[in-house]
Amino acid sequence: MSLLHFENVSKSYGDEEVLHDVSFQLDAGDVEVIVGPSGSGKSTLLRCVNRLTEIDDGVISLEGEDIHAMDENTLRRRVGMVFQDFNLFAHRTARGNVTLGLTEVLGLSKHEADERAEQYLQQVGVADQADAYPAELSGGQKQRVGIARALAMDPDLMLFDEPTSALDPELVGEVLAVMRELADDGMTMLAVTHEMGFARSVASRLAFLEDGQIVERGPPEQLFEQPQHDRTDEFLGELTDLNR
Amino acid sequence: MIETASEAGTSIVGMLQADAGSLLSLGGRTAGVLQVSDWAFVATNWEYLLAGTVVTMLLTITSLSLGFLAGFPAGAIEVYSSGRLSDVVSTFGVLLRGTPIVVLVVLVHFGLPLPRFGSIPWLEVDLTAFLSATLALGLRSGAYQSQVFRGAIQSIDDGQLAAARSVGMSSRQAIRHVVFPQALRRSLPGFQNEFTIVLKDTSIAFAIGLAELLTRAENLYLQPGQGTAVLEVILTITAIYFVLTFVTNRSLEAIHRRYSIPGGTE
Repeated sequence: MSLLHFENVSKSYGDEEVLHDVSFQLDAGDVEVIVGPSGSGKSTLLRCVNRLTEIDDGVISLEGEDIHAMDENTLRRRVGMVFQDFNLFAHRTARGNVTLGLTEVLGLSKHEADERAEQYLQQVGVADQADAYPAELSGGQKQRVGIARALAMDPDLMLFDEPTSALDPELVGEVLAVMRELADDGMTMLAVTHEMGFARSVASRLAFLEDGQIVERGPPEQLFEQPQHDRTDEFLGELTDLNR
Repeated sequence: MIETASEAGTSIVGMLQADAGSLLSLGGRTAGVLQVSDWAFVATNWEYLLAGTVVTMLLTITSLSLGFLAGFPAGAIEVYSSGRLSDVVSTFGVLLRGTPIVVLVVLVHFGLPLPRFGSIPWLEVDLTAFLSATLALGLRSGAYQSQVFRGAIQSIDDGQLAAARSVGMSSRQAIRHVVFPQALRRSLPGFQNEFTIVLKDTSIAFAIGLAELLTRAENLYLQPGQGTAVLEVILTITAIYFVLTFVTNRSLEAIHRRYSIPGGTE
């Protein structure tokens, strides 16, 4: 049984269809990278998985269970999300960002939550900044705290919505390194990113999304070396040039 | 106690006499205003004015508290709720903001069937009038505070709520633990403004004869033979209002600094 299953998923905002009949499956431990031009529906696709956005048609299931039959807060506990703009809680320290979900959602004591936060901040390499507020952190540090916040909930699946797009170029590496380690540890990941180096070396599969449809999907080397569609070739070519 | 107080009174009178004497010697035209005897009249009534100051401060506190209790939920309702409740709240707000405060105080005092209470001894405050003034000033302040809070809540980035929801918090938890703590901090400058406005607007209770500062000022200079003391009395209460406002502002600024988010711009 697959971990995440999209079956003919469609979503519209008014008259505009953002996702059209999207189907794919992710097994536990898979790292799926989604690429596509701006407005192709990538972020919407991610937000449908934890129901920050509700789909109009089709079925999404997590470990065989229809996510729309689940309590949305229970679902979100099992699906971690990392945002492009970090969205760290501005009034809480790095540690406080991680502990809030632990105490409020998982019901951990303050002491247990602090300990677990320490462990995850350590894992992403920002333990020395535990008492710093988001405004005192660099973009790379913020994003790593964001990852720790999601990981600390012990999710089955992690969603990354352009996690490095808001970062200065020299800070991208530290965030990608954390993601790479996560993948090596066997975390199932669904990531929207245009970091082609990461996609090539880490992704088990790459999907090219355009106009709300998956144009092509497969192992990264296949899409890079022998794309079935001209459009895939063109888009990946542009991205690779940009990354250089 | 009384003896020491009157001693203090005389020494103040002495100082005032010296001051006023030099002022008077500046020219014949200033004679008649700011007379020594009028300052002495203010000084001998210091306790009466002190009681008025206490009433003003109490009225400010009760009105602002009521304003907060009404205004904060009202602001939240205007942001998060739609439908009838939200309509009712915003209609009330528009009505309260659109009515002169004197009219409100008079309407509440003479229009509502409020119970008749007695009066407090030293403060000589009619509790019914105090309640009327609190209701009028408090609800009006609530109508303004709701807008301060509404703006502050709306200024919190949607991503904050999305992030809270994404770790499994319910809307209620997310609003309580993520949105409100930030919105309250952003409300402080607006709330500070509201504090000073309400403090000065307590003088409106003059219209229903509540024995706060302005009412007492008038009671003093309307006494037979004290007509010449108008300016002295009014200047005195002006100074009191100013000191209260100044101290309040400084205290709220200190609170704002204490609770501001490190590294942030607020």
